[in-house]
Amino acid sequence: MADDLKYGYKGAEPTQSFGNNTGVFDPNDINNLIADNKWTSFGQLELIETQTISSGSTLDFTDLGSYNVLFATGNNIETASSNTPVSIRVSNDGGSTFKANNYRYALQSGTTSGSFNEARSTSTTSMPYFTSDSPNKNRGAYCYMYNLQDSARYSFFTHQSIEEANMMFGSAVYAVAETINAIRFLTTNSNAWTGTISLYGIRYS
Amino acid sequence: MAGQLIQVATETVTSAVASVTLTGIDSDDVYMLAVSGIVSSASINGDLRVTTSGTADTSANYDYAMKGLRNDGGAFTNFSNTNQTTFTTAFAWSLFTTAGMTGNGIAYLYNFNNASEYSFISHEGVNSWQNGILGMQGGGVHTVAQACDGIQFSPSSGTISSGTFTLYKVV
Repeated sequence: MADDLKYGYKGAEPTQSFGNNTGVFDPNDINNLIADNKWTSFGQLELIETQTISSGSTLDFTDLGSYNVLFATGNNIETASSNTPVSIRVSNDGGSTFKANNYRYALQSGTTSGSFNEARSTSTTSMPYFTSDSPNKNRGAYCYMYNLQDSARYSFFTHQSIEEANMMFGSAVYAVAETINAIRFLTTNSNAWTGTISLYGIRYS
Repeated sequence: MAGQLIQVATETVTSAVASVTLTGIDSDDVYMLAVSGIVSSASINGDLRVTTSGTADTSANYDYAMKGLRNDGGAFTNFSNTNQTTFTTAFAWSLFTTAGMTGNGIAYLYNFNNASEYSFISHEGVNSWQNGILGMQGGGVHTVAQACDGIQFSPSSGTISSGTFTLYKVV
């Protein structure tokens, strides 16, 4: 009977692993192997969602999938106001509220005119510089996010951004060990901004 | 289809090990290494080495330059050296063992499969330290023209008890 078969084999079943799947698979087999990180599937930078903001100051992602490492890109980001970087906050309640403390960061910036600066904080209200903060300057950025959905570990960030004459790279942490299930891109002074954010999961990371 | 990551190898550490080796680099594509959740048995730096035939190359041919970021008020640190036996301080810089504190990062690997060129790496990382964080952004070169088939991570001392390491081909 078919119920006696596993991957089309009767008795001893073949060992399955990424890049080495053997047998005949029904949909349940495939789903189970995907969940166990044993199914061969290429294209593992997986787009979760792309959102564009054209008004307002916040852009929320409430579906983070299930990944150890997330990756976000920001494109064509602009603000009309000075001192308005786009920052990141995290949520542990699905986006009902976003945490506004327990962030720490350090970053290096540099300009095309030769000015380089260090910035840091031991306690601040967000992961503060997904992008830099000059008015009416077009910006691009990316950020890797680590361990957000691990209840036993802090959430970490590494990031890099560029605007017309200013580069920036740095690291940050949300220093609370809890499960994060939503993130917000925002200006903490509530000034409006525009741009497109794409959130990806790095499958099997 | 362009613009994809293809998993080449992965290892999830769940008990103490002295190193993690990922192999499978067999093309001239760029490769990416994703690391998260490193927990160590002692305060460590992270070391990276290229592998040939699956074995780490420990020859003194590693050159690197890196900016160390810190949020505790201390000046940022420039790391640089030549003819070392490892790319040092990648993904973990004085990583503490306190609960919740982990080493994490991304590295891109260039020319590893090319026997006629040196192997290059660029990397970024972050870990907790005391009540702050330490960040790492830098690059390095292994000044031997040889084909390398992988990458090895090891703590500068002791072992690591946790962490997920995954190697991707970027196509």
